[in-house]
Amino acid sequence: MSLAAEAFVSQIAAAEPWPQNATLYQPLRGNQVLMLSSVPQAYLRMCGLPVRVCCRANAEYMSPSGKVPFIHVGNQVVSELGPIVQFTKAKGHSLSDGLDDVQRAEMKAYMELVNNMLLTAELYIQWCDDTTASEITRQRYSSPYSWPLNHILAYQKQWEVRRKMNAIGWAGKGLEQVYEDVSQCCQALSQRLGTQPFFFNKQPTELDALVFGHLFTILTTRLTTDELSERIKSCSNLLSFCRRIEQTYFEEDKDSQSAGSQYSRGPSLF
Amino acid sequence: MAAPMQLYCWKGDYGLPSVDIDCLTVLAYAKFAGAPLKVHKLTNPWRSPTGILPTLQTRGEGSVSQPSKIIIHLRKQKYNADYDLSAKEGADTLAFVSLLEEKLLPALIYTLWIDSKNYVDVTRRWYAENVPFPLNFVLPNRMHAQRLGRLQLVREDPALEPGEQLEQELYQEALECMTLLSQRLGSQKFFFGDSPSALDAYVFGHLAPLLKIKLPNRKLQQYLSSLENLQLFCTNILALYFPSEIQAAPVHTAPTQADGGDMDHEPHKRWNQVMSVLFAMGAMLGYAILTGIITIKSAHPHLQESRHDDVDEEGEEED
Repeated sequence: MSLAAEAFVSQIAAAEPWPQNATLYQPLRGNQVLMLSSVPQAYLRMCGLPVRVCCRANAEYMSPSGKVPFIHVGNQVVSELGPIVQFTKAKGHSLSDGLDDVQRAEMKAYMELVNNMLLTAELYIQWCDDTTASEITRQRYSSPYSWPLNHILAYQKQWEVRRKMNAIGWAGKGLEQVYEDVSQCCQALSQRLGTQPFFFNKQPTELDALVFGHLFTILTTRLTTDELSERIKSCSNLLSFCRRIEQTYFEEDKDSQSAGSQYSRGPSLF
Repeated sequence: MAAPMQLYCWKGDYGLPSVDIDCLTVLAYAKFAGAPLKVHKLTNPWRSPTGILPTLQTRGEGSVSQPSKIIIHLRKQKYNADYDLSAKEGADTLAFVSLLEEKLLPALIYTLWIDSKNYVDVTRRWYAENVPFPLNFVLPNRMHAQRLGRLQLVREDPALEPGEQLEQELYQEALECMTLLSQRLGSQKFFFGDSPSALDAYVFGHLAPLLKIKLPNRKLQQYLSSLENLQLFCTNILALYFPSEIQAAPVHTAPTQADGGDMDHEPHKRWNQVMSVLFAMGAMLGYAILTGIITIKSAHPHLQESRHDDVDEEGEEED
C-alpha cells in the first residue's frame, strides 16, 4: 500500500472498535505446503482479539497484495503481518508499546532475520529443491485446479520463485547450505530467547508471533525429509517456546470445536 | 599462511577506500581483524578471478566472492574480529545484518543506481570515467539494468519504474532502519563496546558511501546527516583505519547544470569519433576495391589455369 493509502486506512481503522466477525482467510488446508496462517492468528490471539478462520481455494487471489493469509475486518482487507500489526495498533491494540528504543530496534532486526532467513529457506526448500518440488509442492499447489491449469500454475509459480532466488543470490546455494543457514538462524533465535518465556520481558510481542508461526509450520508440515524439523528440535528452548504458545493461545479451540465450526484444528505439536 | 591472500575490489574515490558497498564491508572487516591482505584496486571487474568484485583469492582454496563468504573464510583463517563477542551478540549481529540488507540496501541501490538524476550525474559518470575502454560503454548500463531487475523481482512488481512513490516507500524504510541503528549504537564507539566487529564493518560499508558521495538528490543523505552518532561512527572508522584515503580525497564538485550536459556527452563524443574514422576507412577501402585501385590477388591463383571451369560458374569480372 502506498503511504497515503496506509495513513487513510489507519484513520478509518481507528474509528471503529474491533468487530466480532473478523475473519482470517487462508488457502485450503491440503493446498499450501507450508501454511503461514499461524503467524497473524497467533498475533491476534496474543492481542486477545477474536478471529474466525476460513479456508478458501482462491485465497491468494482475494488478498490485496497476493499474500496469504489475510484478514477481513469490518470493511477492510489487510494482508501480511506488518500492515496487520499497524492496523491493530490503529485500533488501539499493540503488543510492543512496553519496549524501549533499543529493544524495539532488536525486535525489528530479529523479525527481519526471520523473514530473511526462515521464509526464504522455506520457499527454497519447497520450490527449488527438485525432489520436494516434484513430489509434494507442485501436487499440493495445483490440487484445486483442473488439467491443464494445474500444471501451468504450478510451473509458473515455480519459475517465479526460482527467479527470485536467483535475484537474491540463493540460487547457487545447495540444500545443505540452506539447512546450515536455518540452523544458524535457529541458534541465533535460541540465544536471544535464552531461558525467558518470551523474547522480550514476560509479554509476547509480534516477534514471538512471527517466530511461533514459522517454527510451528515447519515442525508440523510433512516434507520429504525431517531434516528441517530436526534442526529446529535441536534447539530445545525453541521447541518448548512453541509448545508453550500453542498451549496458551490455541488450547481453547481443542475444547470448543463444534460441528459447524469452520475452524478445523489441524496438526499440533503434541 | 605465508603468502598473503589477495583481495580484488573496486577502486576508491570521494575519500573512501572503495566506492562499492560490498568492497567497503570486506575492507573494513579485514582491517578490524588485522588480516594481511594484498589489495588490488581495480576498475575492471573482468580482471578479478571470478569476474565479480569483491573477490578474495585464497591460497589453495580458489576464490571466494560474496562478503559473507569472504568474512567466513577470514574467520577460518583465524582473523576473527568477533572473537570477543558473546553468543547473544553474535545473534544480534545476524539479526542486524538482515535488517540492513532488507531495509537499507534497497534504498541505497535506488539512490545510487535507479534515481535518474543521481545515476546520470554521478554514478554512471564515475563508472564511465574510470572503467577502461570499451567496457565503460557497456558496464554501467548493465549494472543499472541488473539492479533494477533485482529490485523488481524482490518487490514482485515487473513494471517497477523509478518514481516519487517508490522513492518515498524505500526511503521511509531506510530512515526507520537508520534510526534503529542509531538507537542501538547510542553513544558507544562501536556496536559492541570498544572494539569493532563484523556488524560495524557491514554498517560502515552501507553508510559510508551515503556519507561521502555527493549526490544531486540528497534526501537519503539528509536523513543520515540528522543522525549524528552514525556520522561520527563512519568518520571515526575512516580516520582510524583508512587515514590514507582521507588525505587523498580529490576535489569532486557537484556537477552544475551546464557542465553536466557537456560531461555527459564526452563518452559519446569519443565513440562518435572512433566510429566515424572506422566508417570512413571502410568506405574508402570498399571504393578502392570496387574501382580496381586495390586488387585482391591472394585468394584465387588457380583462376588463371582453370578458367574453362570457372567461367561458367562465376559471372564476376576479374581484375
